[in-house]
Amino acid sequence: MELTLLDVLEKTQEGPICKVKDWDFKIVPSKTALMLKEHGLDKVYDPNTPIPSDDGLADDFWEAGFRLALELGMFCPETERIVRFSEEELKAGLENRPCELDLGYGKDGVKIVTRRPDDERPITAAMSALGLAVSEEYYIPLCQAIAQYKVVDILLGCTFITIDGHKVRARTPYEVLAGKREAVYVKEAVRRAGRPGMALWGVEGAPTEYGQLGGYGVPGGFEPDRTIAICLIPEPAKLPYSILTRVAHAMNCGGPIEAGHMLNIGAYFGSPEGAAVGAIAVQILEAASMLPSVIESTILDASYSGNCGRAALWATSVADQARSRNTHVMDLGITSQVSGPCTDMLLYETAAISLADAVSGMAVEIGTRPAACRYPNYGSGLENKFCAEVLKGSAGMKRSDANEIVKAILPKYEDKLRNPPRGKSFPECTDLRTLKPIKEWQEIYDRIWRELEDMGLNRPP
Amino acid sequence: MEVVGEKFKNLEIFLPDVVLAADAMYAALSVLLPRLTADESGKLRRGKVVIGTIFGDIHDIGKNIVAAMLAANGYEIYDLGCDVDPKRFVEKAEEVKADIIAISCLLSPSIYYMEDVVKRLRDLGIRDRYYVIVGGAAVPPEWAGEIKADGWGKYVEDAVQLCNILVEKGKGLEKPVIVGV
Repeated sequence: MELTLLDVLEKTQEGPICKVKDWDFKIVPSKTALMLKEHGLDKVYDPNTPIPSDDGLADDFWEAGFRLALELGMFCPETERIVRFSEEELKAGLENRPCELDLGYGKDGVKIVTRRPDDERPITAAMSALGLAVSEEYYIPLCQAIAQYKVVDILLGCTFITIDGHKVRARTPYEVLAGKREAVYVKEAVRRAGRPGMALWGVEGAPTEYGQLGGYGVPGGFEPDRTIAICLIPEPAKLPYSILTRVAHAMNCGGPIEAGHMLNIGAYFGSPEGAAVGAIAVQILEAASMLPSVIESTILDASYSGNCGRAALWATSVADQARSRNTHVMDLGITSQVSGPCTDMLLYETAAISLADAVSGMAVEIGTRPAACRYPNYGSGLENKFCAEVLKGSAGMKRSDANEIVKAILPKYEDKLRNPPRGKSFPECTDLRTLKPIKEWQEIYDRIWRELEDMGLNRPP
Repeated sequence: MEVVGEKFKNLEIFLPDVVLAADAMYAALSVLLPRLTADESGKLRRGKVVIGTIFGDIHDIGKNIVAAMLAANGYEIYDLGCDVDPKRFVEKAEEVKADIIAISCLLSPSIYYMEDVVKRLRDLGIRDRYYVIVGGAAVPPEWAGEIKADGWGKYVEDAVQLCNILVEKGKGLEKPVIVGV
């Protein structure tokens, strides 16, 4: 039987006591390493196959991931207790997740569906300047520049630098007000783009629960019947009350929940294999503990803070395949690039991770995060259009074919992952009157699409 | 210690291994230091660092990696954890007589609290007692200059290099010192 949120909260009060340092640096790494060894998965990473096609490998990872979820559990920082789940509770958590979700209104609405590796059904494209700090004057134009492309299914906002000239400070009334402002601006952007009923995701720019409480399910805010609520846990497998507060609030509002996590290769779970098995385990744990509609799983590489290099692509693809072959849960990935707009590299990075996630069975892909969101206003509409097109164009593509394309793309940028080009900011690479890209950016886009078409990727009409 | 850093950068070892190396370094120092002259021990004990992820931000992986690498490179670390009130950085630095305050931030709406640490030091009249360094995914190098911090580093090894530069010859350098761009 599926747990309720109250059951989960009780577990946070009753599990074994554990110090955070022991959790982070002893329990998680040792259990992960042991699980990989027991399943013979500790040395299977193959940098020459960034997108594997081995169903047996994926299933072995699934089995190891499930066992890890069972033996590891989660960690509640507030109570310093381990939250453990039984096998039945974990299985019920997976079985009770939906396999489709209708979102948005009328002709602008979208249906998200669960997918499998090599699936012919197109992946849902949820686009954004995700996590990017954006000036007030560019907020609506940037969101509109993304939403104007019909190939984009869902829009996410970005993060305000200020509202009405005031700095938005996390966990203060400023953040509560910014949460509502995000909803107002995002809805204005889709209205201006001629897509007023578009499905949304929010509150994207809320670092804490304050922003979500201010913007989700309140009058004039994000409507729960068209907006997925964001609830992302910190690494490794932690279940803080601040996140469970978001879950509780979304439940109170009757809205669909995105549970999610980012894992770093090189960090607590260790190797690419460790990150893959860790991502599977955490997804299973989130299904049981956060009762979500969709689950985000992103594997970054700590050595450059992105997910477009070989190791991150491999680990992402293996974990995606393991989950999509063994559950009906709707998974979503995030593209996390390190180069900036108006560069070749941003589009190569985008193509690689988008292909890896799409052919490996993700239901939704959220893009994009140019320049790792380090520079305010460094995002534009065109990389989002490109990302959505690559996602849609890969429908029905075999993993082996996508692997060949990615192998051809990787040498074009992988030596620059730690020192990527910064590119141009939104006003520098966009005609602010038309919200179309400047000539230079358009030409880069056209050239790289021609390259991808020559490699066998279909360009959507 | 340089080997540990290089191996971590190349993903030959991982964060828990770096933490182990740092613990081993501490253990070795506790045996070695009492037997060394002041000059010799000064070379091994490079300085005290108060480190944390700033208020409103519960992401601590970057901070943990930097803390482990600094510890493995001979710094005495006082880790305040994540979601740390700006006042705590100052209080802890005063308590332990730190050399460096290192602040991490992944999320933009928390970035302003970094400035609060610098302002608090200035308003208390103790700004020149500490080097304040900032870093993290949400922090562009320009931000260090805007808030009058002393340094910014892009990657983990840059943070170690930055601390070394500041403790060795920081007084004579123009601030902020930017490493990794």
